[in-house]
Amino acid sequence: MQHSVDPSVIFGENRTLGPGRRKLMLGALGVGVVATAASIVLGLAGDGQRFQRAWLVSLAFFLTLSLGSLFFVAINHVTRAGWSIVVRRQAELFASLLPLLALLTLPVLVPLVLGSGELWIWNDHAWVEGHHHMHHKEGWLSMPFFVVRVAIYFAIWTRLARSFLRNSLAQDADGARVHTGRNQRLSAPALLLFALSVSFASFDLLMSLDPLWFSTIYGVYIFAGATLGCFAVLILTSMLLQRSGRLEHAITTDHYHDLGKFMFAFVVFWAYIAFSQFMLIWYGDLPEETRFFANRATGVWGDASYALLFGQFVVPFAGLLSRHVKRNKPALAFWAVWILVFHWLDMQWLVMPNELHEGVAQPALFHVLDVTCLLAVGGIWVAGYAWLARERSLVPERDPYLGESLAFKNV
Amino acid sequence: MNPEHAPGQGPEDGVHAVVAEFSHPHDLAAACEKVRDAGFTRWDAYTPFPVHGLDDAMGIKPTILPWVVLAGGITGCGGGLLLQYWANSIAYPFIISGKPMFSIPANVPIMFELTILLSAFAAFFGNLLMGGLPRFSNPLFRMPRFRRATSDRFFISIERSDPRFAEAKALLSGLAGAVVVEECPVDTSSDEIPRVVRYTGLTVGLLALAPFFLFFTARNTTSTEPQFHVVPDMDFQPKYKAQTENDMFADGRAMRLPVAGTVARGELRDDEHLQDGTIDGVWAKDLPPSITGDAAFMARGREVFAIYCSVCHGLDGRGDGLVTRRAQQKGLSWVRPTDMLQDTVRVQDIGQLYGTVKNGIRNMPSYAAQIGVRDRWAAVYYVRALQRAGYASLDDVPPGERAKLEKKGDD
Repeated sequence: MQHSVDPSVIFGENRTLGPGRRKLMLGALGVGVVATAASIVLGLAGDGQRFQRAWLVSLAFFLTLSLGSLFFVAINHVTRAGWSIVVRRQAELFASLLPLLALLTLPVLVPLVLGSGELWIWNDHAWVEGHHHMHHKEGWLSMPFFVVRVAIYFAIWTRLARSFLRNSLAQDADGARVHTGRNQRLSAPALLLFALSVSFASFDLLMSLDPLWFSTIYGVYIFAGATLGCFAVLILTSMLLQRSGRLEHAITTDHYHDLGKFMFAFVVFWAYIAFSQFMLIWYGDLPEETRFFANRATGVWGDASYALLFGQFVVPFAGLLSRHVKRNKPALAFWAVWILVFHWLDMQWLVMPNELHEGVAQPALFHVLDVTCLLAVGGIWVAGYAWLARERSLVPERDPYLGESLAFKNV
Repeated sequence: MNPEHAPGQGPEDGVHAVVAEFSHPHDLAAACEKVRDAGFTRWDAYTPFPVHGLDDAMGIKPTILPWVVLAGGITGCGGGLLLQYWANSIAYPFIISGKPMFSIPANVPIMFELTILLSAFAAFFGNLLMGGLPRFSNPLFRMPRFRRATSDRFFISIERSDPRFAEAKALLSGLAGAVVVEECPVDTSSDEIPRVVRYTGLTVGLLALAPFFLFFTARNTTSTEPQFHVVPDMDFQPKYKAQTENDMFADGRAMRLPVAGTVARGELRDDEHLQDGTIDGVWAKDLPPSITGDAAFMARGREVFAIYCSVCHGLDGRGDGLVTRRAQQKGLSWVRPTDMLQDTVRVQDIGQLYGTVKNGIRNMPSYAAQIGVRDRWAAVYYVRALQRAGYASLDDVPPGERAKLEKKGDD
C-alpha cells in the first residue's frame, strides 16, 4: 500500500556508463598495470617483505569491499528489501569483481608456493621448528592445503556473485519476476556460505599472519569492516555516477539517508566487535592472546591503534549521528571518504605489525609500496568494474520492486 | 472528557469535531496538504499504517525527541562511568585480577548498556510525554465509522477548538476522495473512573503494601512461636548432617569412622625425615633420601618460592615482598618478615627450614595445607640456594661465566 512510482520513468534516465566507460576502463587499467609493475620492481629490488605485506593490505582492502557488496546483495534479497533496488546493481558489480581479486592474490600466493615464509611465517619451516605450539597447527597451516582453501573460498564467492548478477541481468532483458524469486531463494544459503567462508578466509589470509595468536571473533571483525566499507563505496559510487549525469532522479536523498544510516550502524557494530575482541583479551591477560595487542601498543602502531579507535569509531560516530548530515550529500561524501581511509588503516594495522622473527624492527607505518600496491589493486579493480558494467544498465531496471524503491521515503 | 472547550464555543451543539473519511492514502495526503494550507491548527490525521510523507503533508515540524534521546544517552554513558568510578575507586576499592582500580576498558560494557538503556527510556517516555499519552479515550472512538481507522480507512478530524472551525465542514466536504464527512459528537459519558476499576485498584494497591507491613512487623517484634515453614520439604530433609547424633548406630554418631588403620591416599606418614624434617626428633641436615636435589628440583623450588613465599619474603628472600612493601606504603602495623639471608636463619638445618614451612613460626602461618610435601622441600632447597647466592664470591661462579661478570664490572 506504499506510494509507488511508475518504474518506467527509469527509462528516461541516463543509466549506463556510456561513452566515458572506455576511458575509465583503460585509464584505470593503465594505472593498475603501471603500479603493479612498479610495485614488483620495488619489491624485487628492495623490500620484498614490505611488498608482500603492502599487496596483502591492498588486496584485503578491495576484497572486503567486494565481499561487503556480496553481503549487501544477499541481505537485501533475503529481506525482500524494496528501498535498495536503485543501488543494488552497483553492489552486484562490485561483488562480481571477486574472481578478478582471486587473480590478484597471485603476487602473495606465488612466493608462498615457492616456499617463502616472509609473509605467512608458518611457511618458514625453521621458524615452526622453534615454536612447538605450531605442531598442532601444522596440519591446517600448510602448503598446499592453504592454497586449496583459498581457491575454495574464491570459488564460493565467485559462484554466488555470478548467480546474483546473472539473474539480475536476465531480468533486465525479459522483466520476468522469476529471476527475483531465484535470487531470493539463493540468498539464504548464500548468507550461510558467506558467513562460513568469510570467517575462514579471514582466519587464513589475515589471522594466520601471526600463527601463534588466535581470536574466534576475528571473522566477525573482518565482516564488520567489510560491510562498513561497502556502504561507504556505495555512497561514493552513487554520487560519482550522479555527478556525471547518470541515474540523476533514481537515487534520492532518502536513499543516501538510508545508506548513511547503515554506515553509521556499522561504525558502531565495528567498534562493538573490535572492543569485544580487545576487552576479553585485555581482561584475560594471557600471553598467547595479548601478543596481538602488544604488537600494536607501542611506537607508531600504538598511535595507529588510537587513530583507529577515534577515526573509525568516536569521530564518525559523532559526525554521522545527525539526520541532517546523512541527508546532506557533501557531508555524507566526506564521511564516506573518511571511513574508507580508516578502513584502509584498519587493514594496514591488521597486516603490518606481525613481526615474529627475533630482532626484526617494527615495520614503518607508511611506505611507498603501500601507495603503489593500493593503486595497482585499485586500478585493476576499477577497470574490472568498468569492463563488467559494459553497456549494461546501472540499475536493475525491470525489477518488480523498482517502483517502490523509486518512491522510497524515510518517515 | 475533553477539557479544552473554549468558553465561547462550548459543546452546546454537541459537536467535538468534523471528520472526513478517505479510502486511499494518496487522497489523505493530498487532503492534509489542503487542510495545512488553509491554516488549521487543531486537527489530526489517522491511518492504519505509517504513510510516508504525511508529516510533510501535515506540516508537522521535526520533533526535538532526538535531542532528548541524545541527552539520555550522554547521561547514561557519563553516569555509568561515574557510577563505576565511585564504586570501584572510592566506595569500595578492590583489586580485581591485577587491573587498576579505575580502568576504562573494564567500564565500557556498563557505559554502553546504560547509554542504550537511558536512550531507550528517553525515547519511550519522551514519546509518551510529548504525545500527551497515555490517553485512555477519544471522542472519535464513539464513531462507528472510525473503527476502520485501524484496518482500511483514513481520517482527518478538525476539532471544535480550532479557531477556524466554522469553515471546517465546507473545506472537508470539498476535498477530493472524501468518502464521508460527518460530525463527531462530544463524548458526554462520565469521565469518572468506573467504580469497579477504582475499588479493584485500591484493593490491589493496599495488598501490594502488605508484604512491606509484614516484613516491618516481623523485624520489630519477638515471638515464642517456632519458625513458619514455607517449604517443609526443604527445611526437613530425611538425612543426617555431619557431626550430629544418630541413634541408629551403637556409638550414637551420624558419621561413620574409617576402618581402623585406613590411610588416605598420599597421607601415609611413615617417613619422619620426609614428613616432619626430623630424624629421631632432631632437625635433619640434608634432603630426605627419596628426593634428589638436581637442577629440575631446584627449578621447581624456585617456582614454589615465587608463588607462595616471595609475596612476603621477596624474590631474593630479604623480606621485602610486594605485600610487605604495600603494607609499609599504607602505614599499616606490619611485622616485616624474616630476612632469610641473616645469620640466624643461615645456620638453621634444612630440616628446620622445612619445619617452618610446615608448622609456621610466629606471625607466619603453616603452609602445610597449601604446599605439598615435595614442594615444601623444593622451596627450602631453593632458600638454601638464595642464602648461598647472597654471600657468594667470584670463586663460586663457574670459570666460563666469570669473564662476563668481570667485563660488566669494567663498564
